[in-house]
Amino acid sequence: MTRTWVREPPVMSDDTAAAAESLRASVRRMFGRSLHIRTIDTGTCAVCEQEIRLLAAPHYDLHRLGFFFTPGPRHADLLMITGPAVRAFDVALRKTLDATPEPKIVLAVGACALGGVYPADPFTHGAVDKVTPVDVYVPGCPPSPMTLLHALMVAVHRLHEKVSTLSFCDGNEP
Amino acid sequence: MVAWFMRGLRRGVVTTRYPLAGPEPWVSELPSPPVFDATQLDVDVADALVVVCPSGALRRANQALVYDVGACTACGRCLAAAPQIVRPSGVFELAATAREQLIKHIPLRKSST
Repeated sequence: MTRTWVREPPVMSDDTAAAAESLRASVRRMFGRSLHIRTIDTGTCAVCEQEIRLLAAPHYDLHRLGFFFTPGPRHADLLMITGPAVRAFDVALRKTLDATPEPKIVLAVGACALGGVYPADPFTHGAVDKVTPVDVYVPGCPPSPMTLLHALMVAVHRLHEKVSTLSFCDGNEP
Repeated sequence: MVAWFMRGLRRGVVTTRYPLAGPEPWVSELPSPPVFDATQLDVDVADALVVVCPSGALRRANQALVYDVGACTACGRCLAAAPQIVRPSGVFELAATAREQLIKHIPLRKSST
């Protein structure tokens, strides 16, 4: 039997949900300039990790913006989950998610994590958001460090996402 | 000179903003998701692109090409298959707060045949 670790979002009344959302937003603003990142690899080819590591290089220098990497989930505010959520990693992923204190921000990084490359099958869930709620989706194979920086700024509400305004289409009149 | 020195004495301030003065020129040369020219894209071309896409980012729904930016690996096969119709977008600020924001519907031209 395959155990799945699907976490349903908590059921709340409208008032509570609005209050929870505003609290969450204010906590994100508080995180604004001191946010610690833990990366979790759920079966990637390691190129996403390579790009994430490049964020700390002087050229991108995420520390100037107040983001830091931490080796332990207990110190982390933000989880960067890469890979298609292989089922073999379920227990480790669940432990990491549980060990990260609330409120936590979850980034799904890369096309695998967004459900692009691997279908759901006996080996993988196919996408990270089938296993845990995701706050920010970062497309790309791999996402460039600039994309990751933008995603981090979106995650702490310091920038707005832009992709919903793009149509990826020249000349809308056919 | 004095202003530069005084900036150095500030505390609790980031050194540079994101990105300092717009994205750098090479950013547009990174592999980026394609942009489709809707004036030339008809059903036949769309079907050819769907076949060529290795990650299932493209599919056709009646008179629209459904493009999933999240699934796209920017491999460039659609660019090679239809260079007049598809061009790289050069967009790198792709983070989305909901999965649906990444799914784009591109209207198809009525086939001339």
